[in-house]
Amino acid sequence: MSPDGTATPPRQNLPATLRDPRPGRTTLGRPDDYLHAEHTLRSWLWTIDHKRIGILYLLSITFFFVFGAIAAGLIRLSLVVPDGQIFTNDTYNKLFTLHGVIMVWFFLIPSIPTTFGNFLLPIMIGAKEVAFPRLNRTSWYIFMAGALFTMADLVIGGVDTGWTFYAPFSTTFSNTYVLPALAGVIVVGFSSILTGLNFVVTVHTMRAPGMTWFRMPIFVWTMYAVSLIFLLATPVLTITLMLLVMERAFHIGVFDPALGGDPVLFEHMFWFYSHPAVYIMVLPGMGVISEIVPAFAQKKLFGYRFVAYASLGLASVTFLVWGHHMFVNGESETAAVAFSVLSFAVAVPSAVKVYNWTATIYKGSIKLDTPMLYAMAYIGLFVIGGLTGLFLATLSIDEHVHDTYFVVAHFHYIMVGGTALAFLGGLHYWWPKFTGRMYPEAWGRVSAFLGFIGFNATFFPQFLLGYMGMPRRYHNYPPEFQLLNVASSMGSLLLALGYLFPMIYLVWSLRYGKRASANPWLAKGLEWTTSSPPPAHNFDEQPVVDFEPYDYRDREARV
Amino acid sequence: MSASAIPAGPVQIGVEIEEQFHTEKQQRHAAKLGMWIWLATELLLFAGLFLVALIIRVQHPDAVTPAARHLKFAIGATNTAVLILSSLSMSGAIEMSRMGWQRGTVRCMQVTAALGTIFLLLKGFEYYKDFDEHMMPFLAWRPYELAHLPASALFVDDYYVATGLHGLHLTTGVAIVLVMAWQVGRPGYLARHQNRIEVLGLYWHFIDLIWMIVFPVLYLLNR
Ligand code: HEM
Ligand SMILES: [Cu+2]
Repeated sequence: MSPDGTATPPRQNLPATLRDPRPGRTTLGRPDDYLHAEHTLRSWLWTIDHKRIGILYLLSITFFFVFGAIAAGLIRLSLVVPDGQIFTNDTYNKLFTLHGVIMVWFFLIPSIPTTFGNFLLPIMIGAKEVAFPRLNRTSWYIFMAGALFTMADLVIGGVDTGWTFYAPFSTTFSNTYVLPALAGVIVVGFSSILTGLNFVVTVHTMRAPGMTWFRMPIFVWTMYAVSLIFLLATPVLTITLMLLVMERAFHIGVFDPALGGDPVLFEHMFWFYSHPAVYIMVLPGMGVISEIVPAFAQKKLFGYRFVAYASLGLASVTFLVWGHHMFVNGESETAAVAFSVLSFAVAVPSAVKVYNWTATIYKGSIKLDTPMLYAMAYIGLFVIGGLTGLFLATLSIDEHVHDTYFVVAHFHYIMVGGTALAFLGGLHYWWPKFTGRMYPEAWGRVSAFLGFIGFNATFFPQFLLGYMGMPRRYHNYPPEFQLLNVASSMGSLLLALGYLFPMIYLVWSLRYGKRASANPWLAKGLEWTTSSPPPAHNFDEQPVVDFEPYDYRDREARV
Repeated sequence: MSASAIPAGPVQIGVEIEEQFHTEKQQRHAAKLGMWIWLATELLLFAGLFLVALIIRVQHPDAVTPAARHLKFAIGATNTAVLILSSLSMSGAIEMSRMGWQRGTVRCMQVTAALGTIFLLLKGFEYYKDFDEHMMPFLAWRPYELAHLPASALFVDDYYVATGLHGLHLTTGVAIVLVMAWQVGRPGYLARHQNRIEVLGLYWHFIDLIWMIVFPVLYLLNR
């Protein structure tokens, strides 16, 4: 049944040539493709085309990423010497706040959903548009307003609370410009909510005839799961930050022990959002990998239904583990044990996915092109990040490594090693679809390797440092930690190249890249049945879906 | 436009299909679902404040009770009744719009907005009384009545945040109802956008629903 209740028509209106894994025609420059439909600046800024909005987001979050990365470079620079001479303490605090706030709130959280999600979700389910195109545009403007405002505040004024804004420091003791930063983050939250709302309604109501729930690509499933988290968690963050604003402005005292309030309440409410938020950051990456791996193994995704359910499973269990950030903050022993056990439970759906990807690769006809290299790197790093998460969820170990560089390494393995690599992988994978051009493959591979090696060089030493006891957020440290810190800072140079190269050659390819065909990877999925770049309304005719997802032919059938 | 110029109806009703949809049913479904989801997030927004109220009550029962006794129960109860009536008239507007009774729809919406305004006026009066009784602990320049019970200020502040946020939602609601009532009065609106009234109705009922939680959690539970 199609969403509007009519029975699926028996006709098959997708030409067989398009469903066949063979490169299709190119339409670059054809008058009706979405890039060339209109050229004015206004047609971009005032667009309601989900594809163009996706591109707008892509440009915006790249902009924020660059700022966040510069701050990261300065942090690593400061940590080269043990006595913290390069910056004042104050500047250092402002730097890591700038880095954290921008990377978490303005890069990682919106990254994959707002770019690939906006561009691809409607195409993948065979729709012309998202359900509320104007709302979609509005949410980009809300995002930009909030994010630019906060960034200006962070760069010009500076804030020293860290991205977590813990009370009572943020409400009572910090002398920096906390209020504007909070205001901007609250505003950006509304943009997340609207995006989530749009996606959920789109998936429910806009699917093409024949596109049943279990014919949707895993990327769509993860977008759906992420949207649910956006919707269920962000409002709680909004009200928490609003209370923080009131507290700082009027001393209403909810988080201030001197007035009878409770700072731990802030942590509960903050992590009730922010632990799910880490899955906002990681689930979309999983979706991207679930698209890339089958395409480059030319094999059906192993255990499709399990992966789909695991996405929803993660989206639900993730709401039950926030207490693992508070093991050492006077949480009761019962609560701590419960949160520890639940955190172990989260690892199960995550592991399900890893096993499914590995099983998909097993005996596939593997092509190690750039997207696949990124995907492989992702899987390896995600496993390390996830396993160290289990260390942290173990009460006795967390007692030792809480608030050290071990935690920093853990979440960077997942958020940078995982999400940022998945983002780059997806960007390469869908680049031909977005732009109609191919990127230079050799450069792509070099960058993928650089990223992987640079990443490990940067963050592996931090596990050791943390285990040895180096606390996070300090820039003075005992001289015996210097060697590892220098190693980490050197690694970050490599990592920076790993990001810089794609930025350069992808832009280069816009003009000089080879023209892409409709399906350069011989991949399955509706987005590859339409031209590259797609026409303004995605498909020339409404597609009718009568095939299963990832229906790559069996190895036996191919020979 | 003078009210008598609005035809009583029934006029033609319908929904103009937007480009991204294929059928009217699909568009109606999407619009309603979207509003429901938005309301779910709103509920969660308020849930944080209710949670704070309950935690404060558990932690400081001795301070919360006297603070809650200062809330004007009679005004709160009257306001509850006013909002229930406004929901009734909003439902009336929806029913009439379904039948194409243009004038009736406009009238019902105007009554809804009027009831909403009465609520806001009563609420404003209540705030004034609170001010008068020195129950505004966040005003640094004004002595606070229950200063000997510092924790009571937490509850009172939460009360202001919750009712203030609710008032903001209601004000928005009244504004939208008025604008839409004016639109409905113009020829052809019901033929093109009847479903907007239904979606607005969801929002309006929801604001009432929030008050139905605010009232017991703040006014009743702690007496
Ligand atoms: C899958 C994606 C994950 C992401 C993106 C992620 C991210 C993060 C982040 C950002 C923090 C640090 C927050 C801070 O204090 O600033 C953190 C801490 C933590 N994570 Fe994860 N995490 C993930 C998975 C897991 C898993 C699967 C577990 C457990 C099974 C886990 C257990 C923990 C624990 C216990 C802490 C707190 C450590 C401490 O502060 O002492 N994480 N994680
Ligand atoms: Cu967590």
